[in-house]
Amino acid sequence: MKRRSLLKLGIASGVVLAVAGGSLALLKPGLLADGRLSPAARQLMRAVALAVFDGLLPAEAAAAREARLAAHLDQLDANIAGFPPHLRGELSQLLSLLTSSGGRLALTGLTSDWAAASVADVQASLQAMSLSSLGLKQQIYHALRDLSSLVFFSNAASWQLVGYPGPREIP
Amino acid sequence: MSSIVDPIKEGLARGWKVLGGKYGPLPTSLDCDVVIVGSGAGAGITAELLAKAGLKIAIVEEGPLKSSSDFRQLEADAYAQLYQEGGGRKTADQAMPVLQGRCVGGSTTVNWAGAFRTPEETLNYWVDIYGLKECGAEAMKPWFEQVEARLNISEWLTDPNANNSVLRRGALKLGIKAPTIHRNVKGCWNLGSCGLGCPTNAKQSMLVTTIPTALDLGATLMVQTRADKLELKGNQISGLLCQPVHADGSHAGPAFRITAKHYVVAGGAINSPALMMRSGLPNPNDLLGRRTFLHPTVASSAVMPEPVQGWAGAPLAVFSDHFLRTQPIDGAIGYKLETAPVHPGFAMTNLGGMGRTLVDKAKTFPHTSILIGLLRDGFHPEAGGGVVELKSDGSPVLDYPINGYLLDGARRAHLSMVEIQFAAGAKSVRPAHEQAQDYQSWHQAREAILALPYEPYITTIGSAHVMGGCAMAATPAQGVVQPDGQHWQVANLSVHDGSVFPTSIGANPQLTVYAQAARMATGLAKRLTERDVRLDSPAVPASAASAA
Repeated sequence: MKRRSLLKLGIASGVVLAVAGGSLALLKPGLLADGRLSPAARQLMRAVALAVFDGLLPAEAAAAREARLAAHLDQLDANIAGFPPHLRGELSQLLSLLTSSGGRLALTGLTSDWAAASVADVQASLQAMSLSSLGLKQQIYHALRDLSSLVFFSNAASWQLVGYPGPREIP
Repeated sequence: MSSIVDPIKEGLARGWKVLGGKYGPLPTSLDCDVVIVGSGAGAGITAELLAKAGLKIAIVEEGPLKSSSDFRQLEADAYAQLYQEGGGRKTADQAMPVLQGRCVGGSTTVNWAGAFRTPEETLNYWVDIYGLKECGAEAMKPWFEQVEARLNISEWLTDPNANNSVLRRGALKLGIKAPTIHRNVKGCWNLGSCGLGCPTNAKQSMLVTTIPTALDLGATLMVQTRADKLELKGNQISGLLCQPVHADGSHAGPAFRITAKHYVVAGGAINSPALMMRSGLPNPNDLLGRRTFLHPTVASSAVMPEPVQGWAGAPLAVFSDHFLRTQPIDGAIGYKLETAPVHPGFAMTNLGGMGRTLVDKAKTFPHTSILIGLLRDGFHPEAGGGVVELKSDGSPVLDYPINGYLLDGARRAHLSMVEIQFAAGAKSVRPAHEQAQDYQSWHQAREAILALPYEPYITTIGSAHVMGGCAMAATPAQGVVQPDGQHWQVANLSVHDGSVFPTSIGANPQLTVYAQAARMATGLAKRLTERDVRLDSPAVPASAASAA
């Protein structure tokens, strides 16, 4: 049994960055001091949302799509704020690594940065991570995808997409 | 404003002693007869019985006090507010999400209200292997009966929802028994929101039953208060250090100390052994935190021709134990079949996929049925469970490796569920596995599942049943606590929760926790006060109690 844990990301990040020619000291935290996504992490989670929810986001009006994405990212912030400090710390470390060019390349295989990557590229990268033989990559896939999915579909704005009428009213 | 009366608000208005969070400042120190860590299944039963014996009780709960007027049946609220680690608890390698309550009432506030007596074969195994003669089926019967009377546990007589009907219909077609579940409900509205906190107080959780009884008898409840450390002096606990916390678990003020004659740890598996590990309690046989079990759970979704609307109606109504009994208890792993509620966040996340796959799932969502298979771990050398470890900040994490033995069970459970779903008339079926597809026939699905690689991560596995880690046994070589819950090495410390199970049980654990806690707490009340108490009779009169 391979021992795999996000707790060991600290060590993993050092190795990954050494390979990619970077330095751990240059990484910026993925979460801001107040717990919200950093601007770079927000770009990352936006790219993940565009890939994972491709076909489910408002397609016609760009403004509607942007509004839905912004609401989703704000809701992610709110959810992360409810996590205990150690979990926020691990997530911050992960997002920090994935928003550095070396970490992104090594762990996701994406050559362009998150803001510039196409939906198809991010989907291909997530798909490859989900089937990777490396536990670390599968962990990262699930961390990004599952958190995004839970927040997206728990939001009332998504209910009509799945035909859920919302909870039964109690008079 | 809802028409539902909130019994917690009423109790607070009557003058319940609730401190912490928004309910009033925590003390700088507190002395009582018995302090109970946790407020879930084991803690609640213990609190009521000890309070009825006239003991001065303090209950320490890390989570918040939320009640029916807070329960809006919204996934967006519930997971973050009512579950451990904001709903984000996972095993160490992140391969299994673990759903466990963290609020007053513990997991009983958010469980799906399935109430099973411990299967007889499990109790027999405990007697044979762990010397727990007190836990034989005959010996346990009166405890089950007492708890069932207290918590209104009875067979669910309402028609099962369409999701549960899929399980029943398919199983019957294959000649497999799929009986009706017993539930701990009173006047259930059949909303289907059990996992999000019952908004009508129908579910007879600890939140609306035993905890209120204890509070009415004068117990003190401290919420958003983490039991940080038990102080050991010789072979006695001399105090419990408590840390006030914010909703997210971060520190919210200075630590304080509770002293008591006796200490009952009932914070649930994972958390209870972690508290004892943080406290450096004696652990001469290296058993603490080990053999922690999860009923690793796999799922299969089906698109039915009829509308299923699996978000509505009692989430658990029908089950099958057929595959627990097709092989010896210590042979290839057995599994219990049940259903899961089909709420958008929970279901769309756990069924996996992105892009096109999610679009297709969204379209068929109202016709989606979800079956789950719960693997009975703990009875075979290759199903030894997980080990609780402490992170640098003292918080626990469960290291639970998923091995080939469990994955073989996952594959067999997928096959059973898929066959049942097709027998029930499914148009297509897809087991929760990253590489599975929508299969159009049982034959096609069977071939595909037999060829799929079963590995951690790509096989979707989760858990909502955490058990073990402080096993009870007739000898200290096999157990952390004695059969009556008393710690083997520490004199005034007991454990009364699911962490005392020496194996998993092969059924939803709440009723087993209630019954074991009732047995243990009744004995503890007798030892401390020489009084006989019951869940189904009133408290010892105050005058008689004060004379104790």
